Amino acid sequence: MSATSALKAKALLKAKPASKRRDATKAYCQGSAVLSIVIVSVILLTLLIQSLPVLMSGDNGLIGTQWNPDEGQFGIIAPLFGSVFVMIIATVIAFPIGLLTAIYISETRSSKLRRLIKSILELLAGIPSIVYGLIGVAYLNIWVADLFDLQSGRIILTAGILLGIMILPTFLTLTEDALSAVPQRYRENAKSLGMYRHEVFKDIIFPQAKVGIAGAGLLALGRALGETMAVMLVIGSLDRLPSPLFNPLSSGQTITSKLGREVGESAFGSVHFSALVFMSFILVSITIALTILSHYFLTRKPSDV
Amino acid sequence: MYKQSVFALSALILAACSAPEAVNVSGSSTVLPAVSLAADQFVAETGTTVVVNAGGSGSGFNQLAEGQTDIGMMSRDITDSELERFKTIDFKRIAIGRDAVVPTISSEIYEAGVKALTLAQIADIYSGRVDNWAEFGGPDRAIFAVDKEASRGTRQIFMGVVMGNPKAKTPGTDLVTGSNNEEQTALTQSDSGIGMLSFAWLNEDVKGLSIILDNGQVVEPSLENIQNGSFPFVRDLLVITRGDIKPPAQKFVDYLLGPEGQKAVEESGYIKVSE
Repeated sequence: MSATSALKAKALLKAKPASKRRDATKAYCQGSAVLSIVIVSVILLTLLIQSLPVLMSGDNGLIGTQWNPDEGQFGIIAPLFGSVFVMIIATVIAFPIGLLTAIYISETRSSKLRRLIKSILELLAGIPSIVYGLIGVAYLNIWVADLFDLQSGRIILTAGILLGIMILPTFLTLTEDALSAVPQRYRENAKSLGMYRHEVFKDIIFPQAKVGIAGAGLLALGRALGETMAVMLVIGSLDRLPSPLFNPLSSGQTITSKLGREVGESAFGSVHFSALVFMSFILVSITIALTILSHYFLTRKPSDV
Repeated sequence: MYKQSVFALSALILAACSAPEAVNVSGSSTVLPAVSLAADQFVAETGTTVVVNAGGSGSGFNQLAEGQTDIGMMSRDITDSELERFKTIDFKRIAIGRDAVVPTISSEIYEAGVKALTLAQIADIYSGRVDNWAEFGGPDRAIFAVDKEASRGTRQIFMGVVMGNPKAKTPGTDLVTGSNNEEQTALTQSDSGIGMLSFAWLNEDVKGLSIILDNGQVVEPSLENIQNGSFPFVRDLLVITRGDIKPPAQKFVDYLLGPEGQKAVEESGYIKVSE
């Protein structure tokens, strides 16, 4: 704060009685809170209203696999399946690595080193997703193609790996927080009882921290579901269910990549546009559900210890 | 006091938003290189800001129709359904150059001996009836068919000629890409790909296929064949404007048709429309 504005603030302090100022602060805070709730509700409401045309238009194969706007087919199953599939792959990659690294950092390293490692990891969480996307296009998809001897590495697996790398820092740092939050004296007591290190972790620390870890996982999943650019560049954008169904080596489509590719070319107000909005409504619903769940886990106190 | 500062701030933001005389151009990534080259010179000469964005022909049309851009770039004509949607607006098509869509294959296949195909053979690939280069005298390798987003101008010209319908479904497709850049990258990275690119995007990694016509004549994708129209995929590169175009945007359109603009068209690898 500069000197002049500090002076102004002081003058303001003198000018108004303390209670009035408190009221103003309170009103401002309440206003902000209401405003953010209103914004979220307006977004949800807009999505819902804009989805109505496709929901009302009958015979559009909404719950199907055929996407062909020119013939009035708007099957959302393929992108929806792609989103969930990619999310699962990302989870399978990120969660074990994240959990083990978090254990390593929080249980075996000194607190100084821990802070250093964590701040580096948090830097990773701040890298813009398009950068990950470019790395995915330039290197990762070629490596994957070579590894599996494929024609193209723009496949569901590549998108899953990339997303796994992207959500790793988020998951890792929150998991590590959960582990470090377990009081040091629990560890010391357990050790003094003669427990081995792995027993201390398995029986004392993990039960205490598992709620926080679950919350971290759900928050990371939310990020994975909402990611657009990186996925769009490496997934292949093919509106088709993989065949066989759980073949990660085929190209696919997620809801986000679908939206990224098609929103620009659909006319505002058309059924095509409405179908895209409906997809985003589903996506938002899933993410909100995940966030509420993770909030529940992250704030719940560990009970059964 | 708070009120005053809020007003001052919003006034500042509004002022920043309405920068005068900026010309926005948006649309086809095929037309983009020529327009953006011309825009650079136009900016240097007149000082008017020109912002050029890609996004595809369909996107360019929508943005123009909805008033989000001053000039749309399209590598195909406006369709009837598009005109139907915006009946009240008076659109103007202006051809600034000519180009060809070229069926393109990975250089590995080209060097292995596949240098020309008939239109029916290409249709077989995209409809999924043929999935091995061996059928066309190439190596025994699966064909990696690359398609583009349905609204892309290049795609609609290509499928219109090959499949008889610009919006044809292509069950043989293995990958869908967007811009010419993206498709070029996918074909370069593959060693058995086929796709469609604008003529200006061919290079040593992605080779243009010659087309075998019904009478057996083989037409190469050369500048000369595009100029005389014998290559089957020739098209006009268009810029689209509305009746209520702003004067600086109109000046830029005139510039595109003038000698400097036409030179930029030529330098981008396309064929100019006027001397």
